[in-house]
Amino acid sequence: MATANIKDVKRRIKSVENTMQITKAMELVATSKLRGAKERAVASQPYFNTLYETMCEIQQDRGFKSIYTKKEFLKTVLVVVLAGDRGLAGGFNHNVLKLAEDKIKSLEQDGRTVMVFPIGKKAVEYFEKRKYEIYNKDYQISDNITMNKSLSLSESIISGFRNGIYDKVELVYTTFVSTLVQNALSVTVLPIESNDLNDNDKEQYDSTDPDKPKKSALTLYEPSAEEVFDGLIPKYISGLLFCSIIDSYASEQAARRTAMESASDNANEMIDSLSLLYNRARQAQITQELNEIVAGQLGNN
Amino acid sequence: MKPYKLKIVTPEKIFFDGEAEQITIRTTEGDIGILANHIKYVCNIVAGPLKVKDISGEREAALSEGILKVSDEGVTVLASTAEWANEIDLERAERAKQKAENILSDKSRADEFDRAEIKLKRALTRISVGKRYL
Repeated sequence: MATANIKDVKRRIKSVENTMQITKAMELVATSKLRGAKERAVASQPYFNTLYETMCEIQQDRGFKSIYTKKEFLKTVLVVVLAGDRGLAGGFNHNVLKLAEDKIKSLEQDGRTVMVFPIGKKAVEYFEKRKYEIYNKDYQISDNITMNKSLSLSESIISGFRNGIYDKVELVYTTFVSTLVQNALSVTVLPIESNDLNDNDKEQYDSTDPDKPKKSALTLYEPSAEEVFDGLIPKYISGLLFCSIIDSYASEQAARRTAMESASDNANEMIDSLSLLYNRARQAQITQELNEIVAGQLGNN
Repeated sequence: MKPYKLKIVTPEKIFFDGEAEQITIRTTEGDIGILANHIKYVCNIVAGPLKVKDISGEREAALSEGILKVSDEGVTVLASTAEWANEIDLERAERAKQKAENILSDKSRADEFDRAEIKLKRALTRISVGKRYL
């Protein structure tokens, strides 16, 4: 019946409007959080870059070796997975968790034991439900992580590495490319791989002046290059984690913003088509009422 | 004295970027002072006070652990946290100190000792630097 239909449509419009209010609000919140996260990401760059440079320079030192660079037979791998605390962020959590799981499967196929270190509520839930071996689940909240917290996080990772619980650490997280594009990717944290910078510099020194000593040979490390390097590693890893967490957080907010934006758009579209339906039903009801009146009048006559 | 470029960087921000004539900083090997034309030098620093002397006088800050790097381009200090003496929240530092001491006196939490010790060191640095400013 037309009257019931009108009521239904009206109720639906109201409910879609309510939903839209929520998605609009979430969109605005995500936008402002994204701005904050981007600023933090930019601010953390100089610290991390200098750390990385120093680390590469030490590695050039002759006869240098450290337990963090040695490559052993790889038996157990720790996979650190960064995801969000909350859902409603489009494909954000799904993408990074999927990549992590693929990575774990391929590692297991190579005959390696895998341990998972999930960071963020969604990651913890996901890997617990699937009964993976979890190394540490103390870091449920990835929201607003401080440098202090990432330092204790890296200490936890390093102590496991030093104690030989695992001999390789992989990090799976989402990197922020732009507001519309965020890519899930995985990087090796430990052992530290000798980097391209190393090779480039070597060539440079060989090809130019053979008498010119290596840059690092002139640098004095106190008490020794190895000890400086070993002291640097926890800072490097916590810096790396800190940057990745901020990066992942920015990606989450960007993904949520985009998802909420399209949800609001959809709600708008829905309200438009429902309004049309409502107006049509209303029109039909008026026409029918008119018809009834006219018919009644005619009958009287 | 001849000034040189000094940069103090933390993960949150560039704490200081300017010129200094002398800095005194606490390393794993003890306190050292850096003047202009120092040789290239890298070492680890521990939580401790940092003194920065420039034309206008001497300023003090509380640093936590990090590295010190002297290169041709200047001196760079990387630290997990850095605060000028006048920015230190003494009450917060006292609370952090109390918390760390509680952990250290609790034998059942032996696995947290290392971390608590670092935190205690940081808090003590803050308190001593902050009090000198008062």
